[in-house]
Amino acid sequence: MGYVAIKGGGVAIKGAQDTLEYMRCAQGDTGSPLDMKTIEHQLRFLHGRVLSEGGLYHPELASLAVKQSLGDSLEAAFALRAYRSTKPRLLETPTLDTSNMRIVRRISAAFKDIIGGQTLGATTDYALRLMRTELLDESPEAFRQVAQQWFKDQGDNAIPDTFPKVVDSLRADGLLAEVDTAAQQQPFDITREPMIFPVPRSAALATMARGETGSLLAIAYSNMRGYGDVHPTVAELRVGYVPVMLPHPISGELIEAGEVLMTECEVVAMYESDDEDDKPTFSLGYGACFGHNEVKAIAMSILDRSLQKGMKDGPTNPSEDPEFVLLHVDGIDSMGFCTHYKMPHYVTFQSDMDRLRTTQEKAQQAEEQA
Amino acid sequence: MNIHERKNWVRLLMAVAVDDVCQLAEQLTQDWQLRYKSLPQSGLGMMKLRDGAMNEPFYLGEIPVSSAWVELTLPDGVVAEGAAQVMTDNQDLAEAIAVCDAILANDLPGHEQLTALLEQGAGHITKETQNRKQMLARTKVNFSLLDAAGDDDEKN
Repeated sequence: MGYVAIKGGGVAIKGAQDTLEYMRCAQGDTGSPLDMKTIEHQLRFLHGRVLSEGGLYHPELASLAVKQSLGDSLEAAFALRAYRSTKPRLLETPTLDTSNMRIVRRISAAFKDIIGGQTLGATTDYALRLMRTELLDESPEAFRQVAQQWFKDQGDNAIPDTFPKVVDSLRADGLLAEVDTAAQQQPFDITREPMIFPVPRSAALATMARGETGSLLAIAYSNMRGYGDVHPTVAELRVGYVPVMLPHPISGELIEAGEVLMTECEVVAMYESDDEDDKPTFSLGYGACFGHNEVKAIAMSILDRSLQKGMKDGPTNPSEDPEFVLLHVDGIDSMGFCTHYKMPHYVTFQSDMDRLRTTQEKAQQAEEQA
Repeated sequence: MNIHERKNWVRLLMAVAVDDVCQLAEQLTQDWQLRYKSLPQSGLGMMKLRDGAMNEPFYLGEIPVSSAWVELTLPDGVVAEGAAQVMTDNQDLAEAIAVCDAILANDLPGHEQLTALLEQGAGHITKETQNRKQMLARTKVNFSLLDAAGDDDEKN
């Protein structure tokens, strides 16, 4: 059997694009198009997922990606990732420090009294998970009144701009290993270099920072359920805006060029000691991502800790295996592989059928001869 | 925030409407010569972060970046330079902020109008900062022991 070149489908593909566009606009006169700010605010968590999984902090384009993909987070992240691949790389920032984060939410599961206090911010943690039926037919007036009331109630709040980190207190108490605060090694750039294992921890952090939330959660969950032994305690989970500092082209002075909303988590795990002379200290895991996505940051921090163990002692379960974790958490990669099965496989499947028929014929001949 | 410090100008100008910055920069320089010290460009920057566990640097992801470096020549022959690197893919905005940087840093004509724009930006930033602090103030947890008289919820 030879390969048969075929063509066709162009008209149908154009029709499919038109049909999708019709589905987006099917409300007709009773509908109105979503604007970018509406998506950013009212679909905050979906928007955050797309920002981080797309690997590009561009709130307006993330909204556009959500809009054009009709809310499919994988497709939206793909569009953002495709956009970034068309742009030149101009610079990298100096190493930014999240202790400057302008916090909007900060909690700790390790201590109730943390310096600066715990602030819940905007969260679904305490939602009753009952349907809010009053939103079924929400009036624009009621919608606008919420913000008006919020601003009306504002008072003078003597709250600092930034807060110290919980892990710094633990470190000061000698419960964590000392770190090299001046460490300046060049991180691994996953957008420029292929991952050939073993890879440094910076490659793992970068891969997970733009990994797909569900994939990270699934593998971290395997560790939580027993295929691992991280047993994490959330030392601190924070959501806030990190100032992006860039040098002024003339003076060289670092100036704030913008800010990035991000989620960050540090988990404390089992204590360990390298050798008998060392003081035992807690080990740590770290997670961070663009946008407000707490599940992702926590899952990443657990996987960071499990991968550290796997890199050091060799993996004993999937969540400790860098190759297993890092090659399976990217949403664009995995979605692409999965959906490619929808593409024509006419020749390979024809070959499969030919082999099956041949095998069936041989089996029948053998049966007849028996 | 000190609006007279150069390090704050980009943040302050980014807080006002893009059109306002671009229009004022264009209006102030319409009779001046503008030369690019380096061509305005837009693209991406890789955001490098220090992780909170081991203090190791890693790349969190990319951000849009535009930059511009201009030289202004006034009708009386005065020459001034300004530049900006901003987190946007709007190249025109980066150029306008570079023009503002030159005017403000060299006290060129128009710096009063720009100062008014900086004050406007400071107002927006203050409002946003208050908004964020309101979120923190309203959701600060006041722990108390179970047997203590009254609790957080009763006090509120």
